[in-house]
Amino acid sequence: MNYFKTIINGIVKENPTFVLLLGMCPTLATTTSAVNGLGMGVATMFVLICSNTFISLLKNLIPDGVRIPCYIVVIASFVTLLQMLMQAYVPDLYKTLGIFIPLIVVNCIILGRAEAFAAKNNVLASICDGIGIGIGFTIALTLLGFVRELLGNGAVFGYRIFPESMNMLVFVLAPGAFITLGLLMAIVNSVKNRKA
Amino acid sequence: MEYFLIFIAAIFVNNIVLSQFLGICPFLGVSKKISTAAGMGLAVTFVLTVAVIVTYALQNWVLNPYGLGYLQTILFILVIAGLVQMLEIILKKVSPSLYQALGIFLPLITTNCCILGVSILVANATYNSQGLEPNLLTGVAYAIATSIGFALALIIFAGIREQLAKVRIPKSMEGMAIALITAGLLALAFMGFSGVDHGIAVAAGL
Amino acid sequence: MKKLESNITNMAVVLTAIAIVAGGLLAWVNNVTAGPIEQINNQAIENGIKSVILGDRDIKFRVEDPTEKEGFVFHNVYDMNGDLLGTAVESTDKNGFGGAFKVMVGFDSEGKILGYEVLEHSETPGLGAQAGDWFRQKSGEVQEQSAVTTLLLGAPGKPGNHNIIGMNPGDDLMTVSKDGGQVDAITASTITSKAFLRAVNAAYKAVFGYTAADGVSGASSQN
Repeated sequence: MNYFKTIINGIVKENPTFVLLLGMCPTLATTTSAVNGLGMGVATMFVLICSNTFISLLKNLIPDGVRIPCYIVVIASFVTLLQMLMQAYVPDLYKTLGIFIPLIVVNCIILGRAEAFAAKNNVLASICDGIGIGIGFTIALTLLGFVRELLGNGAVFGYRIFPESMNMLVFVLAPGAFITLGLLMAIVNSVKNRKA
Repeated sequence: MEYFLIFIAAIFVNNIVLSQFLGICPFLGVSKKISTAAGMGLAVTFVLTVAVIVTYALQNWVLNPYGLGYLQTILFILVIAGLVQMLEIILKKVSPSLYQALGIFLPLITTNCCILGVSILVANATYNSQGLEPNLLTGVAYAIATSIGFALALIIFAGIREQLAKVRIPKSMEGMAIALITAGLLALAFMGFSGVDHGIAVAAGL
Repeated sequence: MKKLESNITNMAVVLTAIAIVAGGLLAWVNNVTAGPIEQINNQAIENGIKSVILGDRDIKFRVEDPTEKEGFVFHNVYDMNGDLLGTAVESTDKNGFGGAFKVMVGFDSEGKILGYEVLEHSETPGLGAQAGDWFRQKSGEVQEQSAVTTLLLGAPGKPGNHNIIGMNPGDDLMTVSKDGGQVDAITASTITSKAFLRAVNAAYKAVFGYTAADGVSGASSQN
């Protein structure tokens, strides 16, 4: 198994947002700006790598019958850990992301990767899978946040590009999240179609 | 009157799916047929209401008195997973046809973030209780209103997608892309309700 | 190593073991982070007090232990000679656009507003969430605009009056201009603006006992 390939696979071929279509709630909710998208992506990546590592380590100790509850406990522990660390060291980001931090527990990407990858592969491969999928998710979120911030607020990472009077506020609001992601997905599809 | 406002606000103004972004996965996944969407809405209503009551009790009588607030996430998600398992067993016996229809989506209610999300909002008293004291009663009212809002969004969206299946769509827009843009337009329509709850509150002299 | 069988004993033992380890780990981390979290919360309050009372002034000050009354929290701030610099009040209005709206307002001894900070809110990003800056933007401050924008969208609108710094809720009618008051609401966010002004008026009333908005229609639902 080529570990580098596993990482690239997670970013491109199995991109959680554009290909697997998983974890839509945080994707839409927290991407009002590029920084928020990046923050959410990195937070999710942290939990994903930790849970993948531990589940792959424990896979032979966990009987199949209680597989899911065990995975959930492991994931929830890391999420709580992250919650406390963020509260202590990056309180501003913690406040902005709000309820979507504890909700990383129910992000289908994490449980999905535990089931589909970590439970079947060795530790090193599982870590690589976590890194790949995590980066893929982070890129998607940052990209979405970038577009929404640029159109809705006329800024990128907080730096103003367009004057304030040209803001299209709808892109920062709820409908803009759906529409932007839909259009990005259409662009990805058309690139894929052209290649095929 | 305030309870009426909680309902109006949670169903239309701050719709859980279209403006709070909770429960998007089943919204995009299950809502291809109106009948399945309605079934899913019903299942969520049941699980959410029971989950809110149980988690509220745990939060206020176990976690808070003993200073165990940091166990909130773990405990809540286990309670919800247990409840879903129970619902699965009950449904299998009582209504096999509905069980068949919901199929693989039933276990997915566990990872429906609107259940855990609303449970946390109610337990932490950070939901909009329209000026009433946040307690178990307003929490349950909020939970029921939220699930109605969820079901409504799911059913409307399923109706649109049933029609959408009959028309030709550009190849790159097929599937999730067009679904997301449709959802965006629906969210835009729901934004028209903004401020309605405050209007009613003023009209009623609150 | 072979996978453990799914019999009842195994399942119960493994699940319990994982739960206990997880609980223990979290208890430990909770213990470690409790200090920094509390420090940050205190720091946030202290920074808020400093900002709403002193603004840009750089003087040494001393804060009395906070007192609480009917949901308001008061922090009296003195300079090193023991003279009262002002009072910072934490005040919450329950009817913001998305729920509760919490601000800290600083008054001098006569009731003039020295500054404010939005502590908690659940307003719409880009609309009501602007409250943090809107109510201290200098009156008459015209937004800078490029020639292209003017060509496309017309000249910038007339600057309104929405700077509350220096106003006194005891003398000035601090309601939105739509209700006959002296403060312009945030564009397209009247409900947020009203909630904000209600919180400010309530904070003033909690210290000084009355406001100019008392008895005027539209502001009668003070609390």
